[in-house]
Amino acid sequence: MLESLAISLVDAVPVLSGVPLWTITLLIMVVVAAVVLTFALTYAGLATYVERKVAGDIQARIGPNRVGPVGILQFLADGIKLLLKEDIIPAKADRFLFVLAPYLVFIGSFAAFVVVPFGVGLIASDLNIGIYYVMAITSLVVVGVLVAGWASNNKWALLGGMRAAAQIVSYEIPVGMALLPAVLIAGSLSLQDIVRSQGGLFGIFGWNLFHNPFTFFSFFLYYVAALAETNRTPFDIPEAESELVAGYHVEYSGIRFAFFFLAEYGDMFVVSALATACFLGGWHVPFLNAEALPAVWGNLFSLGVFLGKALGLVVVMMWVRWTLPRLRVDQLMRMSWKYLVPLTFFNLLGVSLWLLLFQGRGIPQMIASLFG
Amino acid sequence: MGFKAYLYDIWEAVATTAKGMRITARYGVDPRETITLQYPEERWEPSERYRGFLHNDIKRCTSCTMCVRVCPVDCISLEAVRGADKKMVLASYDINIGRCMYCGLCVEVCPPKSLVHTSGYEMATVSRGELILHFVPEDAETVKGRVAKQVAEAAAKAEAEKAKAEAEKGEAEKAAKPADAPQAPDPSPPPKPPREEAAPFIQPAAPAFAAGNPETADAAGKKPAKETEEEPAKAGDEGGEGKE
Ligand code: SF4
Ligand code: SF4
Repeated sequence: MLESLAISLVDAVPVLSGVPLWTITLLIMVVVAAVVLTFALTYAGLATYVERKVAGDIQARIGPNRVGPVGILQFLADGIKLLLKEDIIPAKADRFLFVLAPYLVFIGSFAAFVVVPFGVGLIASDLNIGIYYVMAITSLVVVGVLVAGWASNNKWALLGGMRAAAQIVSYEIPVGMALLPAVLIAGSLSLQDIVRSQGGLFGIFGWNLFHNPFTFFSFFLYYVAALAETNRTPFDIPEAESELVAGYHVEYSGIRFAFFFLAEYGDMFVVSALATACFLGGWHVPFLNAEALPAVWGNLFSLGVFLGKALGLVVVMMWVRWTLPRLRVDQLMRMSWKYLVPLTFFNLLGVSLWLLLFQGRGIPQMIASLFG
Repeated sequence: MGFKAYLYDIWEAVATTAKGMRITARYGVDPRETITLQYPEERWEPSERYRGFLHNDIKRCTSCTMCVRVCPVDCISLEAVRGADKKMVLASYDINIGRCMYCGLCVEVCPPKSLVHTSGYEMATVSRGELILHFVPEDAETVKGRVAKQVAEAAAKAEAEKAKAEAEKGEAEKAAKPADAPQAPDPSPPPKPPREEAAPFIQPAAPAFAAGNPETADAAGKKPAKETEEEPAKAGDEGGEGKE
């Protein structure tokens, strides 16, 4: 895809024809990566601010309101503070792994942004195994967390790392099985294909969410399981403050801690973006065919709609976080293995049967066909 | 666990989560639920009966020492001297507000109601000595010196008047008895014949009494004025040097 972009760029600007094609392709790749990373970091910064505001509102407080108008610049202040803090590496830590771990976590979380379908043509790389890629690359987070816990040479950190590994590995299964219905309906693992399969019917009733009862439950099952995968309250036992001080990142300070922090918010967005793409119609603009619009407007509209849906889900995550208390370890495991795994499994079975019985047509489609 | 209980578990989880989220959403959305007050910019109005920092209107204070005696934690100390007009003059009136427990007994007991609770509640100092409120702006020694001078002047005037009166009396006796003494130059000290014992009573610079915290007063011995200065000086060693 990027190569074709490079070819069209060379066609448009004849001066570039002397430059080898791979240079231009590489350049475009770097630019795209920079844009995605910039978005991710800006989002993560603002999300910390929004999270604190949401927490404040829910707890009948005001939240940050000192830095800039209504405290909007708080995240910049925090970022600068984290940058300037002393970088401490414990004497008995495994230095190499200790330094490596934040990058693993950060990469695992932000590499998933590559396949997030932001708009009609706005996707860094439309991999044909998009969902598979996300599931695989976010597993890097487990490795990073486990490494962080081990390298810190601290019992709290190690316990946190072990818990995180157990939790994420357990919840990968329901997450995967809850996403499969969308894959089945679209017949493709590419996220763009999955989003495209949800068009039509006023742009709302085409959503997989309303396809059939099983996909409806699938969405919620995915959301809960994914929430657990992001290690956020009520599933934040890897960093449970009251038990483990701060879990796997207890020994980290300054910018290394910031990496963990940003990765958590990046994870939140990836999870919400996946839920949006797979169940909430992705970038489909309601009552409008975004693909038929002129490229600029179509992309802008679809970007806005997609971000609106995904960030809405992020806010719901914050809402859940400030509502529910933390689960115990055994409760967490029971929830995964005794509830989510069987439920998602039956759900998958139900969706498969439905698709088999009704030739892949959803309820809204059937109702629409009744009226011609 | 039976299948029914299993399903019920799921239902309960969903229902309770929804209930909790409804409550938090209400708090999150309703602006009236935000009760935080932006403290330094806005603040609650303390109640009328709020017992804040003490304030003594020293013009009305009669130096009766009732407040000193009643205070359970001995945080009030005062010094007073007898003035020229026989009224007590406050040389110093200090309240160690850092020790006060705001029981309000001193306010209740004050006969002229000069001691009152204000609504003040904000005070931060770098040393404990600064928590002592001084209500007499001048130094105790200055006041005592001035009062002593006034007393001495009054005594001298009385003496002179007495002498004059005697002289006049002698003159009058000598002369043909005029109606009265022409006039007293200053009517405020009543032209009574000064008694002999009045002079030792108004010994210059001798405090009529000094009341205060027993332990510090005892330590200060015969110089009660030093007592109030002691604590600030001690605390000043920690950093507030020169605050007095
Ligand atoms: S309020 Fe109570 S503790 Fe404070 S000075 Fe008065 S009597 Fe003493
Ligand atoms: S009780 Fe009142 S009048 Fe008496 S010494 Fe104390 S403040 Fe002055």
